[in-house]
This record gives sequence, C-alpha cells and structure tokens, in this order.
Amino acid sequence: MLGRIARLPSGRLGLVILLGVLFLAAFGPALAPYDPLEGGDAVLAGPSSAHWIGTDYLGRDVLSRILAGSTVSVLGAVQVALIALVVGAVPGILSVYLGRSFEWLSLRLVDTLIALPFLVFAVAVTALLGNGIPQAMFTVGVLVSPVFYRVSRAAALTVSRSQYVESALLSGASVGWVVRKHVWAKVLPPLSIALATTMGAGFVVVSSLTFLGIGVQPPAPTWGGVLASELMYLSYQPFAPLVPTLLIMVTVWAFNLLADAIRDVTGDAGRALSRPAPVAADATA
Amino acid sequence: MSTTTTTTHVQGWARTHGISRGLGRTLAVFVPVFFLGTFITFGLRQLSGLSPAHLQLGESATPEKVAQLEAQWGLDQPFLTQYWSWLTSVLHGDLGLSWVDGTSISSALFGRAIISLSIAGLALLIGVTIGFALGTVAALWQTTWVDRAITGFTTVISVMPSFVVGIALVAVFAVSLGWFPSAGYVPISQGVTPWFEHIWLPALAISFDTIADVARQLRSGLIGAYRENYVVGAVVRGLGPRRIFFVHVLRNGVGPALTVLGMKFPNLLGGAVVTEAIFGLAGYGKYAADSAQRGDVPAVQGVLVVSIVVVVVFNLLVNTALVKITPASARGV
Repeated sequence: MLGRIARLPSGRLGLVILLGVLFLAAFGPALAPYDPLEGGDAVLAGPSSAHWIGTDYLGRDVLSRILAGSTVSVLGAVQVALIALVVGAVPGILSVYLGRSFEWLSLRLVDTLIALPFLVFAVAVTALLGNGIPQAMFTVGVLVSPVFYRVSRAAALTVSRSQYVESALLSGASVGWVVRKHVWAKVLPPLSIALATTMGAGFVVVSSLTFLGIGVQPPAPTWGGVLASELMYLSYQPFAPLVPTLLIMVTVWAFNLLADAIRDVTGDAGRALSRPAPVAADATA
Repeated sequence: MSTTTTTTHVQGWARTHGISRGLGRTLAVFVPVFFLGTFITFGLRQLSGLSPAHLQLGESATPEKVAQLEAQWGLDQPFLTQYWSWLTSVLHGDLGLSWVDGTSISSALFGRAIISLSIAGLALLIGVTIGFALGTVAALWQTTWVDRAITGFTTVISVMPSFVVGIALVAVFAVSLGWFPSAGYVPISQGVTPWFEHIWLPALAISFDTIADVARQLRSGLIGAYRENYVVGAVVRGLGPRRIFFVHVLRNGVGPALTVLGMKFPNLLGGAVVTEAIFGLAGYGKYAADSAQRGDVPAVQGVLVVSIVVVVVFNLLVNTALVKITPASARGV
C-alpha cells in the first residue's frame, strides 16, 4: 500500500515530509549544537552564524531546543494515535457482536466523549492526574478515540450483514474467527485513514498542551514550549516564532496529505470518514 | 378550497410532529450524555486520588486530621451518594466550594464564563458567516479558479492550530501594527467598541477551524443538492436561479454544515484554554488550567460540568433547527 501511496504526488510529498519529521524525532537531540537547557550570554539575540535562529530569553539556543524537543513532540502524536486506536477500535468492532447492552453503553460513552470540550478536558484531566507525559498521552488518546470507534463499528456493521459472514457463522465459525478473517480486512483501510488524521490532530493537541506547560513542563524543550517562551518576548523578536510555527503546520499538513492519499488509494472504503457523522446518527442503531 | 386547508393542516401537523420526534431523538442521546459526562467528571477525584487534606494541611497531615477533614467535605460517604448530592446541587446552580480558599465556585466561574462564552459566540458567528460565504461561492462557481482558490484557502487554514493563529494575530495586529490591544479584557458595560477590540482577535484565532469545516461541508452539500432531480425539474419548469438556490438547494444542502457546527462548538469552548493563555484573558479556560494545576478538584469539576451543559444545550438548539430546515433529518436520513 505504501508503494501505491508513493505513486500519488500528494502522497509522496506527505511521506517525504513525514520521513523528515521522523528523522528529526530520532536524531534531533543528537544533532543539537548546544545544550538545550543551558543559557548563554547572548539573550534574545537574532539569527547569527553561531545561533542560526537566535536565542531565547535565557540565552538558550533556539535551534537546539527545537531539535531536542522534536522527539517528545512527534512521538507524542504517534503514541496518542496508537492509544486511541486500541481504546476506540476494539470496542467499536466488539459493539457489533457483544449484544445490545454493551452496544448501547459504548455508543453513549462515545457520544459523551465527542460532546466534551476537548482541550479543557485534556488540560484538566492531565493536570489532575499528575501532569506527566504518560497521563497526557492517555487522556488525549481516550478523548480522540471516538473516531476509531465509529470507523471500525461502521465497517464491522457492513461486514456483519454480508452474506459470506452469515454463511461462515452458519457453518459453525466462531465470532473470533470471523473478526480475524473477514472484519479486520474491511476495517483496516478506514482505520489507517483515521490513524493518519488522528496523528495530525494528536500532534496539534500535544503541541497545544506543551505550549501551556501541561504534560511536559518547562524547562524541558518541546515545540509548543519553544513557541510559548517566544510569545512572551514577541515585541523584541516578532519573527522568532516563525520556525516552530512552520514546523508544526507542515507536519500537520503532511499527516493530512497522507490521510487523503490513503483515502484515494483505498477508494470507497474511506469515503465514510469524509462525511460528518452527526452526534445523533447512531441513536436508533 | 377545502382540500388546500386540509393539506396545510396536515403539513402543519407533520411539521410539529417531526420537531417533537426529532427533539425526542436528540434527548434520547443527550440525557445519557449529560449523566455519563457528569459521572466521568465527578469520578475524576477518585481517579486522581487528590484530597482537600493534602492541599490544606500540607506536610503536617496526620491520618486523624486527614480523616476529619475528608469527613467535613463529605468524602467519607459512598461514591454514589456523593455523586448524587453533588449532581442535585449542580442542577440547582451550586457548584460547591473551592478546596483552596473555600470560596463559592459558581460565583468565581460566572464572571469568567462570560468572557469565554462571548469569545466562543463571536467565533461561532465568524465561522458561520465566513464559512457560509466561502462554501456558497465555491459551490456556485464549482470547478472554476474561484472554487480552487477557496478550497486551497480552507485547506491551509485547517492545518493551522489555533494557538499558532493566535500568536500570528498578536504578532501582526497587536505588536507590529499596534492596532488592537494584545491582552486583557474589558466588560461590555464599559462600551461595545473596547469590548469588541479585546475579544475579536481571540475569537478569530479559534474560528479558523470552523470556517474551514463549514465551508467544505456546505460546498459538498450544495453541489450534491444541485445534482438532485428536483433541481433539474425546477430548472425545466423555468424557476429563477435565486429561487432554486434558496428554496430547493440551500434548504436541502445545508444539513451537513449545520451538523458540523454542532460538533465544532465543543472545540470552540475548549479552545478557550489556549487562546486565553495567549491573549492573557482570565476566562474559564484559564480558571480550569490553574485550578487543575493546583489540584483544586471541585473547581475543575465545576468548569467541566458547566461546559457539558453549554454543549448539550447548544446541540439541542442545532438539532431543532436542523429538523425545522430539513424535515428529512427528523427521520434520521
């Protein structure tokens, strides 16, 4: 599937950018020319040959802080999406098979998660639970999981009503076998689209949280944290936030390009995601 | 003559019936949402393991003192009893007392919520106005350069996180140009213009996402409606393009955009946490973040429950409007 995505121009662009971002996440901390935590004499200096994108209010090299912070920022998004995948997709598929009461309860829980004002909950719950990276990833992962629940449930519903599943069940196949053999194949394309979109969204949320100092507190370097510290000195360096801003935007854009490319490659299977699902849509399902 | 009156009578009956049925369906969803949401919110104290004792006694906490203080706050009661008494007082408008200073959360929240709600409301207004304009123009001029330009624009603004937009707006309008104040809030009682000057940049910052989504959904909804047979029929019957647009196309194509609006509103409220940090506003998002970092659980629960109520009420309004505009949505189509 990667090959077919790479043949689309937009998919290729998305993949190339994401590879670059992954490279930053893997080797960024090692590439940092200075210690990201140690300040210098030149405070709030502009770009120079010594400090390519200047220094912050403590004289710390901004480039080093961005490079060192890339691991948390990028891997955070990936972790969020993976947690959301497990928390959302498993009950999503099971909701079709585990009977009425589980179905009703899981649907109402998903409705509730969608109706919660997302960022306020992410901030509040993370901070209450101890304000660490695991708490932040868990909270955000659970909050974005409804996407996976809906997508996998919709696909599983379609499959479960098909005749080949019916005949498999009639000839004595277990529910577990049907899920592994038939449902999984139908659920996979929409799930991978949702995974790409969620990584983009999760990346924004992680950046927003680190911007607020939630989950990862200063002085630990993150992309959001770099932005926050530069915002305070905007009147001295109006253009300083440009680099982390562009990094964040391009990364989100690349995730969206990838999601669109998967949608194009997998055809109709991904169509359901591009339509908005009304909160009340599943009321009688 | 009598046939016409009968028809209007039946139509009127069908319309009210449709609305009440749509409302019933919406309530069937949102009553459980309200109870589950408040239950999760209340469960946060258990989940966090925080207690007013640690906050007030600090290091000097002995087990007896902790137990005494927890009994004073009613925390020795069974969980469901606590939940029920909390929920009943919440429904009476009493959000309880802060663990930190023992003041009323309702009164602390009231003034702050007005700031956040006026920003969210203005953002909604901006999102709807610009989103509808862009979506309509793109649909009317579909596949031309106008359509492509609008689609490109909505793609760009949809990948801009609200805190990035906020910083950019501060950098350009407040710092570089100095046209608007970069921080703070002025109540509307001190004049509409200064009030507006303080809230329109934060509102614009969180509205981008809504603009993009409303424009996209409206565009595809309208284009879909233009392909319907009844529109072709209307053209063949010689109806004017304006009448076709407003009566046939807009009414039937607006559904997805309205639905998106109902789902965007929680984001607009939630976005307050970030924009209030950027624009230095003492709204309910900042109150939530500060209280959470201090470990003041009842205050956080108060913010969350208020936001749940606002979202539920807003969605009831949107769904009612949806049923009124497109009666088909009452049937769950």
